[in-house]
Amino acid sequence: MTAVLPTSAGRELSNPPSDGISNLRFSNHSDNLLVSSWDRTVRLYEASANVLRGEFMHAGAVLDCCFHDDSSGFSACVDNTVRRLVFSTGKEDILGRHDAPVRCVEYSYAAGQVITGSWDKTLKCWDPRGASGQERTLVGTYPQPERVYSLSLVGNRLVVATAGRHVNVYDLRNMSQPEQKRESSLKYQTRCVRCYPNGTGFALSSVEGRVAMEFFDLSEAGQAKKYAFKCHRKSEAGRDTVYPVNAIAFHPVYGTFATGGCDGYVNVWDGNNKKRLYQYTKYPTSIAALSFSRDGRLLAVASSYTFEEGDKPHEPDAIYVRSVNEVEVKPKPKVYPAPPP
Amino acid sequence: MSNLQSDQLLQMETTCGSLLYELQMIWDEVGESEAERDKMLLELERECLEVYRRKVDQANRCRAQLRQAIADNEAELATICSAMGERPVHIRQSDQNSGRLKEELAAIIPQLEEMRKRKCDRRNQFLEVLEQIQRISNEICKSTDYNSSKIVVDETDLSMRKFEELHRQLHALQKEKSDRLKQVLDHLSTLNSLCLVLGMDFKQTINEVHPSLNDSEGTKNISDDTIERMDSAIQKLLEVKIKRMRRLQDLATTMLELWNLMDTPIGEQQIFQNVTCKIAASEQEITEPNILSEEFINYVEEEVSKLEDLKASKMKELVLKKRSEMEEICRRTHMVAEIDNGMEYAIEAIESGAVDPACILEQIELQIAKVKEEAFSRKEILEKVEKWLAACEEESWLEEYNRDENRYNAGRGAHLTLKRAEKARAVVNKLPAMIDALGTKVRTWERERGIEFLYDGVRLLSMLEEYNILRQEKEQERKRQRDQKKLQGQLIAEQEALFGSKPSPSKPQSGKKGPRMSIGGANGRRLSLGGAMLQTPKPDLPHPAKLTPHLRPSKKGGLLSHHQDDSCVALSAGRRGLDIAGLPVKKHSFNAANSHEIESPMTRKPFSPLSAAMLPKVNPNFLEDLNKVQGGTMQKTLPNSNTPLATPSKLACVTDEDNRTPKEKMPIPMPTTPSTISVSMQTATTPAPAIATVLFGANKIEDNRTPKEKMPIPVPTTPSTISVPMQTATTPAPAIATVLFGADKIEEMHEEVEYSFEERRAGFVIPKTHVISVVQV
Repeated sequence: MTAVLPTSAGRELSNPPSDGISNLRFSNHSDNLLVSSWDRTVRLYEASANVLRGEFMHAGAVLDCCFHDDSSGFSACVDNTVRRLVFSTGKEDILGRHDAPVRCVEYSYAAGQVITGSWDKTLKCWDPRGASGQERTLVGTYPQPERVYSLSLVGNRLVVATAGRHVNVYDLRNMSQPEQKRESSLKYQTRCVRCYPNGTGFALSSVEGRVAMEFFDLSEAGQAKKYAFKCHRKSEAGRDTVYPVNAIAFHPVYGTFATGGCDGYVNVWDGNNKKRLYQYTKYPTSIAALSFSRDGRLLAVASSYTFEEGDKPHEPDAIYVRSVNEVEVKPKPKVYPAPPP
Repeated sequence: MSNLQSDQLLQMETTCGSLLYELQMIWDEVGESEAERDKMLLELERECLEVYRRKVDQANRCRAQLRQAIADNEAELATICSAMGERPVHIRQSDQNSGRLKEELAAIIPQLEEMRKRKCDRRNQFLEVLEQIQRISNEICKSTDYNSSKIVVDETDLSMRKFEELHRQLHALQKEKSDRLKQVLDHLSTLNSLCLVLGMDFKQTINEVHPSLNDSEGTKNISDDTIERMDSAIQKLLEVKIKRMRRLQDLATTMLELWNLMDTPIGEQQIFQNVTCKIAASEQEITEPNILSEEFINYVEEEVSKLEDLKASKMKELVLKKRSEMEEICRRTHMVAEIDNGMEYAIEAIESGAVDPACILEQIELQIAKVKEEAFSRKEILEKVEKWLAACEEESWLEEYNRDENRYNAGRGAHLTLKRAEKARAVVNKLPAMIDALGTKVRTWERERGIEFLYDGVRLLSMLEEYNILRQEKEQERKRQRDQKKLQGQLIAEQEALFGSKPSPSKPQSGKKGPRMSIGGANGRRLSLGGAMLQTPKPDLPHPAKLTPHLRPSKKGGLLSHHQDDSCVALSAGRRGLDIAGLPVKKHSFNAANSHEIESPMTRKPFSPLSAAMLPKVNPNFLEDLNKVQGGTMQKTLPNSNTPLATPSKLACVTDEDNRTPKEKMPIPMPTTPSTISVSMQTATTPAPAIATVLFGANKIEDNRTPKEKMPIPVPTTPSTISVPMQTATTPAPAIATVLFGADKIEEMHEEVEYSFEERRAGFVIPKTHVISVVQV
């Protein structure tokens, strides 16, 4: 009825990136929000105050970013480089390079290492404490079967999702070879992988409106628990439209999770009870990324066209920070106790 | 003592004798005469007597006094005893006892004293009790003034019985007092809760009733008057409460209606949750503090008026919304909305401000209710109509299927088609009965209501009749075809006998029949035949608009364009067809995806533009279907060519899509010329290894292709040459084949490598070596 988005979408941050948002993440220590974008910038916002705290300009589009601590972070850039960004001084230095654009970056608190995945079909681990320069920071290079599309960490486990629907599970303490080599249980290209906060498995989303819930436990009983479900689909006038699921974010307290798709919807799910808990009102365009704050009280939503239909006119890119109601994310009381995923 | 007295008397006698002797002596001396002496002695004796008499009288009087005193005391004692209700035992004793009076008196006096004391005590007790009674009764009925001096004890009755009686009275009064106190406290708590709910000052309220009530420690006034006033105060507040409650509930009802009307978000509604949840509550249930206070009600009222204002401003939107709601109902029940013209006027009127929007809204709501009612009555018949239409679809499919020469070829999914055909036959057999039943039902309905049963504006009965006629015509046609076929068969047999066996041109589909093909084919063919059956028995493809004449769109609507409606129906019908076939088809909107999945569910080939925007036009969709058919025929030739291509079907689709663009722009429906295209396909299928050079361009093409008709960017070199021949794609010229070949190379290459959105956007291309390794893998 109205084009104006209702206030229930959350507060829109001022000074959003001028081009597609590739990722956003809340800090583990504060309500600071790090945002990477195709406009070649990494921006640091103080989400609760709606203030742009800093901005880093790169040579190419930034495909991912992550926090180190509240004073520094890392970025993955299309110009093949991995950078360290120091917020207080606004300085950046190059941690190292891949042979192709770097798709994703994660920082492991357990290993004290930066892990990057690239389209050059490798995974690289870096020690950020080393002095600047590849030879001193690079810990190891680990070939992957295909281009790396998504990474996720929990504890000492690292899940790598690549093109060709490969999924490799590593133990950070022994990176020489994957602990598990898997194939995605979804039939289509993987968009996003995220580990459960309790460390028992991971959720994986594909371009074809589906999310698979998988478990590390390789026993028959463990694998029997895995399942997949459809989401982010639309049925209109007899036509079904299926949208890619771009983002998954787990709630740090309740272990429920939000998914965001190209349909512009954010859904919250209870994986244990296989229930959808909540659907937020539609955002103007595709959901490119999602992140819960450390206490799960805030949810950052990047509403930004993800290029799924090529270059075309689209809604402006925007970041919404919404405060999360407990009802939206708290699992409904179960009828019987089920083992957590 | 007695000795002493007799001694005194003796002494006195001696004194008297000696005195007489002295007198005689004196007389002798004087020489008093005898007569004088006698006179003197007589006088002496008289005087003595006088003294005695006086003394006796005195004693007598004293005795009488004593007696009197005793009698008095006894009397008093008796009185006291009787007053005290006790038995005076000693009185009788004293009667009998004729002892000394003084003893008697002495005996009676202590008794009397005792009794007096007791009486006094008793009296004090009485006084005390009476005083209490007086006080309590004073408290209870304030009217009689409290005055302790007024207490009078009935001295004559101080008996225990009376005392007990008084005590009982006192107890009764005390009980009454505590009862009243309780009542007062009850009232106070009631008042308190009422004041709380109403948001009034409790202290002030009770001060008005009686100041003593406010005092938490002091005694509370419990007089009749106070209680009465409290009663009335409670009554008054209760009335106020009920009045306000009604008001609040009215407001809540209005609010709910407005929310409902305007789709107010839950968040805003939650603020007034406490109001709306009390919408049906009784007076006792409303206990929340301040919920009925003036301020709160004003607050709610303000909200309602705010909503009203909002409603007024949104009225036009609301009217439109209501109208679309109604249209939706009409559409669902295949009724024709009659109000459209009126609505246009109404909206104009609202815009010009000539009419009160609320009035129009009300009118629409009324209409909606009416339509709903009618829809309900139509439900049963509509269900039957649905069944009938579904059966018709099955019938046309079956007909087409029967025409398929290769229907018994064992291919993948053939068993499913067989099963479907079996079911379809059963359904077709039931058709006449179905029509009869439907006809009867409709006639009954029409008779009952006295109006015609319209289905999308057409009388259903006439539709049924039309169908029956068509059916008959078709029957004849079928018969004729059968004859002709028989004739042809004979002819072929003769020719074979003459020249030997030769592939007949009427059966070009020699190889296996891919399931995708059969589905795709069924899609287009069934639809076209469905139209043919109901409309014209021509074998060639009809105009899209004629596809499903029995599903007429609401022509007066203007909301949906004619074409759109048709396309939707055609598509959904096609989709349904797929579902019925029972193949593992996922309901993807994107047809490429569709064919893809059906064709090779095991190869899990990733595909990119899943979320294809809802195609805005109909014709493209329909033509796409046509192309599918063609693609299908092309497909059939593929297995023969022994090419190592993984997914040739995709190629077919892609070329179709490329071809489609120009076709849309052409007003003439494309004739079926599958043979020429199949030629181009054959060329297309030959694998081209030397590709790397064109790759980048290929990406460009892929990217530009997605936005379809919009195509804003002119593409460099290679694609531009493609776009030109596309225009001429309808004519089967050899030139196209080569161009297609080029395009195919590109597409094929592109399809070998999956790319994520980001890779495409970044223009990232896997280096050549990678490609080869992938191909080798």
